[in-house]
Amino acid sequence: MNSRERALKMFKHEPVDRIPVFSGYGNITLHGVEKYGWNFSEIHTDAEKMAKVAASTYELFGFECAVVPFDMGVEAEVLGSKVNYYSHRTDVVYPTIEKPAAEKVDDLKIEIPSDLANAGRIPIVREALSKLKERVGKEVVIGSWVLGPYTQTGQIVDLSNLSRAAYKKQALMNEILDKVSSFLIEVIRLYREAGADYITIREMGAGPDILSPAIFQKLIKPHLDRIFSEIDSPNVLHMCGDTNMIIELLGECGADAVSVECKNDVAVTRQKLGADALILGDIDAYSVLVNGTPEQIEQAVKDAIDKGVNALWPGCDIWPTVPKENMEALMRAAREYGKLS
Amino acid sequence: MASEDRTKEILEGLKIAVKDFEEEEAAKWAKTALEEGVDPFMATMEGLAEGMISAGDLYNQKEYFVPELLMCSDALHAGLEVLKPAIEASGRQSEVKGSIVLGVVEGDVHDIGKNLVKIMFEVAGWTVHDLGKDVPLAKFVEEQVRTDSDVVGLSALMTTSMLGMPEVIRKLKEKNPNVRILLGGAPINPEVAEKYGADGYAKTAGTAVDEAIHLLKMLREEEMGKQKG
Repeated sequence: MNSRERALKMFKHEPVDRIPVFSGYGNITLHGVEKYGWNFSEIHTDAEKMAKVAASTYELFGFECAVVPFDMGVEAEVLGSKVNYYSHRTDVVYPTIEKPAAEKVDDLKIEIPSDLANAGRIPIVREALSKLKERVGKEVVIGSWVLGPYTQTGQIVDLSNLSRAAYKKQALMNEILDKVSSFLIEVIRLYREAGADYITIREMGAGPDILSPAIFQKLIKPHLDRIFSEIDSPNVLHMCGDTNMIIELLGECGADAVSVECKNDVAVTRQKLGADALILGDIDAYSVLVNGTPEQIEQAVKDAIDKGVNALWPGCDIWPTVPKENMEALMRAAREYGKLS
Repeated sequence: MASEDRTKEILEGLKIAVKDFEEEEAAKWAKTALEEGVDPFMATMEGLAEGMISAGDLYNQKEYFVPELLMCSDALHAGLEVLKPAIEASGRQSEVKGSIVLGVVEGDVHDIGKNLVKIMFEVAGWTVHDLGKDVPLAKFVEEQVRTDSDVVGLSALMTTSMLGMPEVIRKLKEKNPNVRILLGGAPINPEVAEKYGADGYAKTAGTAVDEAIHLLKMLREEEMGKQKG
């Protein structure tokens, strides 16, 4: 059973030889970027570079996937936000939104370009996916991701304005989220067509660290339900922060799997979602993977397995400065403690 | 002058207006306070600020979330707009007045937490030098030296923008060993804050807000202690 088969079987609830260890979002390392001698800011705008760096975490460490893109600006750029790539910086800084498409939700006009496949950096991500399929697609699963509708809206409008509108202007917000969801469904279709085996939807902006469960249920969840009903399997819903307060709602959105981070007690997550749910998590992507010792990583792997995750996923993007020995410890621990009967 | 009972009523009105995020009510009670001769500084600290502290308690009890806190701070701001000119005109100054440099570090554009921290310090009568968001690290050092501020607050919501912090903290402490440093943002935890040499931290977008309220509470207690002493 190779890495690809292992992950795909896990998604289908079929038996696997050991726990898969992969991710639904960023997992590139500086070891991968430096191998090619590229500046960090170059890898977001060139399909060849994007694909090679995305494949490098597998090629260097055996991490069982290749995922693009790396930054949260791809879709926002298509919807009219201006993205800063920090090309003046030589260290690790991810692109951010320099200027959102609108300041106020009232002024937001969402137009899906007629030729979406060629809008903004979507063709770059698509080409990178195709290249990955060719390069490592027989060995590992190829992944892509988008932000969830609320979090995505936070990339095209001022966030404080959005937060107030989520409370005060729900009818307008509902219209906006509906349009953003239609857009995301189209983008996902294009990514799947280009070679993505699975899609993760990251709705971290709508969790109980930020929005009330009541607003999540009434305003956000119906749009997530719709997205998951209209996209292909396998798919994953990811939310960071402590989400146990709404985990049943997340489990009901229709995703094949739910991904959580270490701020959740995953044992409680498992208890609430039941034995059949696919739960991915909950390795601390910074404090443990980057700052921890190999022994702490080993312990985190054991804990996650004991608490019942179906695959070991970092709870967030792996920070690229992760030490080589820590990536090796992660993979070693998964092989050693992840044997499933 | 308002009677003791009436003063209490006005302070309670300000507090409830902020807690219930009623902007117009907050401004209305602030005007009433001025008309009826309630000390504007007291109206701010024991009325508006109290309301924000109650909002913080509700946040901790998971009854309020980020939008609610933002709306409370809008009401706080509306009341403060009315009271501030009167505080300035009275010549009455905060006893623990200080000055803070605030900003979101380069690589990050999330500024809700920073903006709330800003308003908390303003309420407490501090001078705030707001550098905005996506601020190059060197700018924090430059601004601290320029303004000789007591506190520098750096915020980064994403892990992806946090890594430059140790360098700026080292430079700040090198120039002025007494400067206090506050860090805020989701990837920050006590170990990271300690490792980076910071004096305080807030761990999530929500707790950045909570931490801001906590700061206000401390500033307010310090203030009242000084006044009594």
